[in-house]
Amino acid sequence: MKKRWAFVLLSAMLIVLSACGNNANNKANEGTSNTGNNANQSEKLEKITLFQSKVEIAEALENLVVKYKEETGNEVEVWGSAGDSYITQLQTKLAANEGPTIFSVQPGAEAEKFASYYHDMTNEPYAEYISPNMALEIDGKVVGMPIGVEGFGLVYNKELYDPSKVTDTNSLVQQLEQFKADGINGLSLSQEAYFLIGHIINTPFALQEDPVAFIEQVNKGEVKLSEVPAFQEFAQVMDAIRANSVNPMEVTYDTQMGDLATGKTAAVHQGNWSYGMLADYDEMEIGMAPLPILGNDKLAVDIPAGWVINNKASEAQIKAANAFIDWLYTSETGKNTVVNDFGFIPAVTTIEPTGLDPLSQQVFDATQSGNTISWALNYFPQGIIINDLAPLTSEFFLNTSMTPEQYLEKLGEVWAKAAK
Amino acid sequence: MGKARNGVISTLIVIGALLFLSPIYIMLVNSFKTRSELYENVLALPGSFSFEYYAGAMKKMNFLTVLGNSLYVTIATVIFVVILSSMTAWMLVRRDNAMSKIIFFSFVATMLIPFQTLMMPLMQVMDWIRTNLHLPMLNTHEGLIFMNIGFHAGIAVFLYHGFIKSIPIALEEAAVLDGASTFGVFWRIVFPLLTSITVTVAILDVIASWNDYLLPSLVLSDKGLRTIQLSTFYFFGEFTIVWNQAMAGLTLTIIPVVIFYAFAQKYIIKGIAAGAVK
Amino acid sequence: MNRNSKLWYMLFTMPLFLIFLTVVVIPFLIGIYYSFIDWDGIPSNPKLFVGLDNYATLFQDQRFLDSAWQTIKFTVFALISVNLLGLIFSLIVTAGFRTSNLARTLLFMPNLIGGLILGYIWRFIFTDGFKQIGETTGIDSIFFNWLIDPNYALLALVIVFTWQMAGYTMVIYIAGIQGISEEVMEAAKVDGANLWHRITKIVFPLLMPSFTICLFLTLSGAFKIYDVNLSLTNGGPIHTTELFAMNIFNEIFGYGNYGLGQAKAIVFFVIVALVTLTQVVITKRKEVQM
Repeated sequence: MKKRWAFVLLSAMLIVLSACGNNANNKANEGTSNTGNNANQSEKLEKITLFQSKVEIAEALENLVVKYKEETGNEVEVWGSAGDSYITQLQTKLAANEGPTIFSVQPGAEAEKFASYYHDMTNEPYAEYISPNMALEIDGKVVGMPIGVEGFGLVYNKELYDPSKVTDTNSLVQQLEQFKADGINGLSLSQEAYFLIGHIINTPFALQEDPVAFIEQVNKGEVKLSEVPAFQEFAQVMDAIRANSVNPMEVTYDTQMGDLATGKTAAVHQGNWSYGMLADYDEMEIGMAPLPILGNDKLAVDIPAGWVINNKASEAQIKAANAFIDWLYTSETGKNTVVNDFGFIPAVTTIEPTGLDPLSQQVFDATQSGNTISWALNYFPQGIIINDLAPLTSEFFLNTSMTPEQYLEKLGEVWAKAAK
Repeated sequence: MGKARNGVISTLIVIGALLFLSPIYIMLVNSFKTRSELYENVLALPGSFSFEYYAGAMKKMNFLTVLGNSLYVTIATVIFVVILSSMTAWMLVRRDNAMSKIIFFSFVATMLIPFQTLMMPLMQVMDWIRTNLHLPMLNTHEGLIFMNIGFHAGIAVFLYHGFIKSIPIALEEAAVLDGASTFGVFWRIVFPLLTSITVTVAILDVIASWNDYLLPSLVLSDKGLRTIQLSTFYFFGEFTIVWNQAMAGLTLTIIPVVIFYAFAQKYIIKGIAAGAVK
Repeated sequence: MNRNSKLWYMLFTMPLFLIFLTVVVIPFLIGIYYSFIDWDGIPSNPKLFVGLDNYATLFQDQRFLDSAWQTIKFTVFALISVNLLGLIFSLIVTAGFRTSNLARTLLFMPNLIGGLILGYIWRFIFTDGFKQIGETTGIDSIFFNWLIDPNYALLALVIVFTWQMAGYTMVIYIAGIQGISEEVMEAAKVDGANLWHRITKIVFPLLMPSFTICLFLTLSGAFKIYDVNLSLTNGGPIHTTELFAMNIFNEIFGYGNYGLGQAKAIVFFVIVALVTLTQVVITKRKEVQM
């Protein structure tokens, strides 16, 4: 008698989990068959999922899909992840056939990595809305819609810094020395990999005639960076920052922007996204200027990421995903959300930017006039900024005996090693 | 020991413990500050104690839903872990044969594997189970609970194993002579003796389930399924953190476990006292 | 009867073991298989069988070897400080003072905070906090930004890990101490043994099972540390605090060398398993049989 009870209890316990699971499974099946029926009667589309890396727009996106359902009756489930765990989660979910229908990837190495998953968008109607040269393309095919445009350069306090006087490396170095004499932190970087080196090193690469081909050469160790003029001047700038500004290793993104907002720092190397960091401080006049290596007078502007559709999703889901993207860029609700709630500089012709913040306005103006350099950093070998460039650069800032020449030399070394 | 002396030392202990906890002060004060206040001085008290960031964090996190989800996952995990691992550990101790040794060894050894190296194959196995056995392991709470049990089994069996060895076998033998079944011996005689280690296992397991981020982030995708930890992602951007809401959100996530722990540790003492009376 | 007994054995052990097998063991075996292939971790991309190449590569990877050495250093320091502090805490809160319960809750609280955020909180202390203390007291040889000095950054990790884990081991030590019968202690008191003798001659030997458990848990926790590592130092400055789990993580998800990352994990697992199991065997032998 007792034994029987034991069996009952044990098997009950074991079954509980699977039973719960089975129920959920059945429900899910019913769900899909229902939508199947509905599709015949009305235009109800399959439910899709969307996964993206910008935490800043997560809430706005969730609100948007609520409105999308109200307006069209179709459902989009928005997934979320903390900023730095996005790629890991995406990769693992794809491995488990749990991939999202729509997801975002950065152009370049990251986009190449997931290339086997992209639905070809070339012939989708919305591909025509993309502003010139702003599509995410692989092998000549449009595979991603740009989520927006971003730009970076020297973000400066207009009261302290005058870009018309700083037009080349020499004048920048002199200006930094002057700031030091005045007790002001001239040009501040911060310890986060991209803000320490990832963005600022973009300029010497982007200034090459063919940046992508040049990166190929650096990958193979065929170029001596210390003999390339743009890099010589870049190292000079880094040296001047080390000599005249606060050690970037002591600065976080938060303090960097705080120092700028409170007038302790004249300029920072940052992008238009950093405007959001200033919201809590007193208003100030700020602008964005190019990093004037080799007399460069252009901001670095490109698309930070593109929406792609997972070609492993079902036919019906791909159809629904196409419908959603089209709606995002053509409906009033969608367009309004992109500019005002996401705060993106649009990279499509269907959206007129309104109410941009001063930095974004400047970036937008630069795209209109074509006065931009590309984000060569998108074509760097995967992971190199965080794993190799940032550690080397922190060594440069911590070890004052390392000369700019040695820095460039080591840069070439770690680069070739990482690119293997 | 004199009453006065006891009082003085008691006070000193609390002061020492509070000092030990001082980093939590940073969490609390900064849950009330604006970004510029935090920039001015991380350690200073906030200008005003308004609970707006708590309200904001709760709204963003969809607090009641995610609290419910976390409670369900945690409670179910802990119940299963306690029942299954105490039974397993007891058998492994009392039948100390080669098989037991192998099983125990594999439970213990795998505790040394970093989760990061298991996560991709794990998800593939779960996908296989879903496709071939039609059990929805992914994107369900039950799937997460199942995986939690597997990952927490090692430590729980390890803790029970060590404890059970110190229990005299005589009582069990007497019960067997009285005609009790193996099942009866375990639940009537052995399990009650395990109370203090059970509470310890439960405490540690509650924390492990409650605080876990990585595994749930891989298993649960849908918004409605998020646990309390997953829902804090809104505050953690790639380069910056919305400090005030993040700290407020964090404080909110800790409160339930603090209450649980304060409650559970009283129970340990009760269990011990009851044992002593017998 | 014998058959029956086997059935009971299976009934008690198999449910958990089967779950454990699916969730941990099988993925681990698949991981071993992956360590012999060259793959970037994207399911639809090609997997190339390369035999032992990954293992050969990792022994030439200076950064991995450095990381392993740092991990060992970290673990040794952490092992000592966590257990010392945990033991002291447990002795204090079981000594029968009025505020013991309160203290127990307070001391355990750091463990309730997840590793990531804990690292962020401590980063404020080591950067802003220490700087402020250094500036006001003038002792800036100790109070400076620890996280940009390679040696101090590792120490900072030890401190944070200790802060988090001391309460955890305390709970286990408490369970052990409360398992020691009051009668034994009373008898010793009556016999005139002082506090020190009571602790070293009675408590410690009877605590051996707790030591086994705590040492093992600290060891495995320290070897596997990732969250705090990520949020406190992120491996910096200059890779000096890139501990083992982070090195593997970067290899797999940063560089996209899935096979190599798995090979590293296997090698380290074997080493760590040997070390810890030796430890368990040694301390187990010293446990007192009741």
